[in-house]
Amino acid sequence: MHEERFDVVVIGGGHNGSTIAAYLAKSGLSVCVLEERPECGGGQENTEPRPGFRIDPHATYLYGGAAPGFEQLELWKYGFRMVYYQSMAGLVTQDGIAANLGGRWNKEVGVDSIKSLTGTDPQGAEALFLQNLGDNGQRDLLRSLFWTPPVPSEYELEPKDLPWWKVFRDLLPGFWTDRLVDMSFIDFLDEFISWEPLRCFESFAAWYCGAHPAWDGMLLPSLGGALLVGYSSGSPRGGMHTYAHAIIRCAMAHGARIITNASVGEIIVQNGRAVGVKLDDLASYPEKTIWADKAVISAVDVKQTFLKLVPRSHLDASFTQKVKDVSLKGGSLFVLSVICRELPKYHGNKDYFPEEVYPSCVAAPADNMEFFYTQTRDAYSHKKAPELTPEHLTMMICTHDVYDNTRCPEGYHILSPIYLEVPPPQYDVTGPEGINRHKEEITDAALKLLKSLAPNMDGANIVDVYLNTPYDSEFRNAGMSGGNWYGARQSEDQWFNMRPVAELGRYKTPIDSLYLCNHTSHPGGLCLMAVPYNLMHILIEDEIVEPKSWWYPSPWYMPPTKTGVGS
Amino acid sequence: MRTSFQAVPDTKLFDEFPKETTFDVVVVGGGPNGLIAGAYLSKAGLKTLVVEKRHEIGGGLATEETLFPGFYTNPHAIYHLMVDYIPVLKDFDLSTHGVTFIKPNIQTAQVFSDGSSLVFCQQIEDTKDSMAKFSPKDARNFGQLMRKWHKMVDGILAPGTYLPPLSPIDMIEALGRTEFGTEALRLTEMSPIEIIDENFTNDKIKTLMLYMSCMWGLNPNDSGLGFLVPLLIDRGLNKAQCYGGSHKLAGALSREIHKAGGLILDNSEVTNILIEDGHVAGVVCADDRVIKATAVLSSLPPPLTFGKLIDQSYVPDELKENAENWEWDPWSFLTVSVATKNKPIYNCDDPWVNDALMVVLGFDSYDQLIEHFNAVLSGKLTANGEMGGHVTLETTYDPTLPRVPGHEIGFIQCHVPNELEGGWDSHKAQAGNDLLKVWQSYTTNFENSSVVKKSIEDPKDIETRIASMVKGSIKHGDYNPLQMGVFRPHDSCVGGRSPIEGLYLCGASSYPGGLIIGGPGYIAANTLAEDLEIDKWWKLPNFVSKYKDIYLS
Repeated sequence: MHEERFDVVVIGGGHNGSTIAAYLAKSGLSVCVLEERPECGGGQENTEPRPGFRIDPHATYLYGGAAPGFEQLELWKYGFRMVYYQSMAGLVTQDGIAANLGGRWNKEVGVDSIKSLTGTDPQGAEALFLQNLGDNGQRDLLRSLFWTPPVPSEYELEPKDLPWWKVFRDLLPGFWTDRLVDMSFIDFLDEFISWEPLRCFESFAAWYCGAHPAWDGMLLPSLGGALLVGYSSGSPRGGMHTYAHAIIRCAMAHGARIITNASVGEIIVQNGRAVGVKLDDLASYPEKTIWADKAVISAVDVKQTFLKLVPRSHLDASFTQKVKDVSLKGGSLFVLSVICRELPKYHGNKDYFPEEVYPSCVAAPADNMEFFYTQTRDAYSHKKAPELTPEHLTMMICTHDVYDNTRCPEGYHILSPIYLEVPPPQYDVTGPEGINRHKEEITDAALKLLKSLAPNMDGANIVDVYLNTPYDSEFRNAGMSGGNWYGARQSEDQWFNMRPVAELGRYKTPIDSLYLCNHTSHPGGLCLMAVPYNLMHILIEDEIVEPKSWWYPSPWYMPPTKTGVGS
Repeated sequence: MRTSFQAVPDTKLFDEFPKETTFDVVVVGGGPNGLIAGAYLSKAGLKTLVVEKRHEIGGGLATEETLFPGFYTNPHAIYHLMVDYIPVLKDFDLSTHGVTFIKPNIQTAQVFSDGSSLVFCQQIEDTKDSMAKFSPKDARNFGQLMRKWHKMVDGILAPGTYLPPLSPIDMIEALGRTEFGTEALRLTEMSPIEIIDENFTNDKIKTLMLYMSCMWGLNPNDSGLGFLVPLLIDRGLNKAQCYGGSHKLAGALSREIHKAGGLILDNSEVTNILIEDGHVAGVVCADDRVIKATAVLSSLPPPLTFGKLIDQSYVPDELKENAENWEWDPWSFLTVSVATKNKPIYNCDDPWVNDALMVVLGFDSYDQLIEHFNAVLSGKLTANGEMGGHVTLETTYDPTLPRVPGHEIGFIQCHVPNELEGGWDSHKAQAGNDLLKVWQSYTTNFENSSVVKKSIEDPKDIETRIASMVKGSIKHGDYNPLQMGVFRPHDSCVGGRSPIEGLYLCGASSYPGGLIIGGPGYIAANTLAEDLEIDKWWKLPNFVSKYKDIYLS
């Protein structure tokens, strides 16, 4: 039989796998992507369970607007189009407030709304902060956080010399103090935002973007997470899957081989080096062994890579234990998609959020920080299911169709996704399927809560409800361990060089020629094209790929020193 | 169309697909034929753009998570009839994209309420074994008939699928040259019922033969298209399922298009085909993007292409009339898809039925089936309250569809009128549940408790998902003598070339028709390549050249 041989084999055609394939194929390498499902894209997914209605079971906003990938991969050539929103965010409290927080492209909406509610300009400090950053400053700060590969360990950097703090100091010398380095985002909010509902909103926003705002030393990653969504203030036209299409089409146009329904069973290791993969017997491909001359790139999560795909005979027990201990807590979402005739009229008043400036993502209820603290305690502790009393539940209610009419037919709206952060299935004391036993109960509680805030969200208005629990997501998206969107907890112990564990901090592994390209590596999830961009630096260091004229590295990239241990 | 409120950024984050672009060719619609045409033309060096309204390409080549979350189904084409012939599979090495077809021996079964069954297999002797239970004579006739019919398919009907149609007069002259051709002409003048009556005696055998002949939309009573009976029976015993889902084929074609420098622009409804100085000039999409092109191939049916997309002053009167009078499929489908915990086992005398690619049930006699077809044709849901249809357990030959291990996915589908009195909304749930009960009643183990997900879709839903399948017309329009052959869609558009300069037709509403046979896309690509005088990088398949030598020389 004909031998299947490529320069690089990529395991997994999700966001990170297809993006690295596009980068490498564009650099002239022969690349093969093996995707387990019938469709690539991973979390960049839109499905149509009800004819005409497209829901977002996972990713929903373009967080990656600052990614060099748009330019480097020229995604515009492959059909990429955006829809920009008049308002990205809003918050609703139980005690009758509905605030439209606006967004990057219509700041007045937010300023006016909050001024009218509080009599002051509580966004002042934060707005000033963003204003001082400016457009390029925002981009640079985000790029230093997310689009910069972890520095080689021989540099032994002080925290304040990490790339994002350098950028911060340069851009905002007036804001800079040493103590920022140890602060959490909540400390920062306490200092700069006086209106508590807004602090609550910002905390949720940061949490849903990856880094929990209470985590010490994570001020800028948390703040950066929230900035990512505001940076683009919109979504790809038609939904996130069209973004995946643009990336995959770029890869295909440069000759990458993409094979779906091709589940990988094993990474073949010879003499300590990854040389190819074996497909599962059921895979839809005639030849089940595929060789990789230069590298095998695992775009599935770190746990499956080392606990399932690399034969244990090639791994050290202390290393495998570290992999087992990677914490999945903090990104497991219970997702509802509600199809309705009318958008929610919060507190019965539709003038709060007129359609032309409807906040795409509404945090509700977000009265005060207690809402935030109780819910995060709930999601992080080992227990059977989330508490379901309204005072423990805040939802992020997203809708796109007022800005993008391709999402559903006229006369309808879709609230999709409605996110509810819950404990990861693995931490449920009744077993990982525990959450699914509470599916109906959680849905009922969520819908009841929604109705208590927006009385028109009743049986007459709601046409259909679809749900996916983190346990469902784990099955649907093979790479989404724990149903966790960021792959692994994004705390200081699992961030930058430490992500997912120190040994794997620069995408390299104990197996030669095996690299990681999944959201369990720095900087995490959110479909940023960041893991592949960062990995490119390492692949260039290792002479697997030669940079072409369109490539530019991160300005904060620090290559290994010649005497160092980096290579 | 509804309004959408969008913001205009004051800072450019990155480039987007331009407001105005130029391609050599634009293909309207990214279904099987649009993709096939796009793939041939891209590889021929034409800068080709395929524009698709949905968020996903493939049209009927869909594999989607309709049983959300966790279960993929093929909501349209599950098995493909022309895999042995369709040129695109050989012209492109689609196996490099992992395209594999499973063509199981056990093809179509029928279970009767008395526990008896028929199993029609790819291997003719196996089929005869099953028929012999009921009628040794029919079994013998079947064997002889299939030898003849297979040669007719191989020598005439299959090759004819991939060449422009002949006028009726030319057709009579051409086919009259051989014995098989003369027989095809004779059958053409017969109705499916007449053909089956002529060859078979046993009531049950006739029932399944008629079901297979008419299930895709032939009127059992009408003559004029009888040549399709041998094709549908022969191909009905040679169905192949795309492993990993039918969308695999769409994905592979998309890869070929992009590899060759073409592009697919999805989530883009074409709202207008531009004409300048009487010549096609490009298209406009719903987001006001303009794509200039020297040729446009439309895979949409005439009421959309000629009726909606083109300024009426450019449409010749006969095509306006064609668009206005176009007849949609005479019936559509009601489909109940399920994910189940166990594989349904049929209560019948032959265990092979459990592994059949398709199982027909609900009809005990020939007359009952004829009454059923006639009732549906006259706009009724059933003849006498009894429902029947065909079942496919998709996981039997494709275990990759469920994302949750240990489950089966399948559907039961029945013929229904496109429109029902009182509207489909008021009938859908009841009819769907009744239909599911029919399926369950033929099994020993398929209880409600084994169903983990269920979805019911009616003809309106078919159109909502795929807008070109108006009124649930999966073939883009009725198969009747006035809409077939050279008249599909109109005899001024032979080979896909329309009277409007630069406008070509390449969809299921063009000759030879729908059902993923790949003819319209292939024929239109050939015609356009000839008109533009481009070197065709592909060669006519041998079976087509042979046919040309015998009948068209």
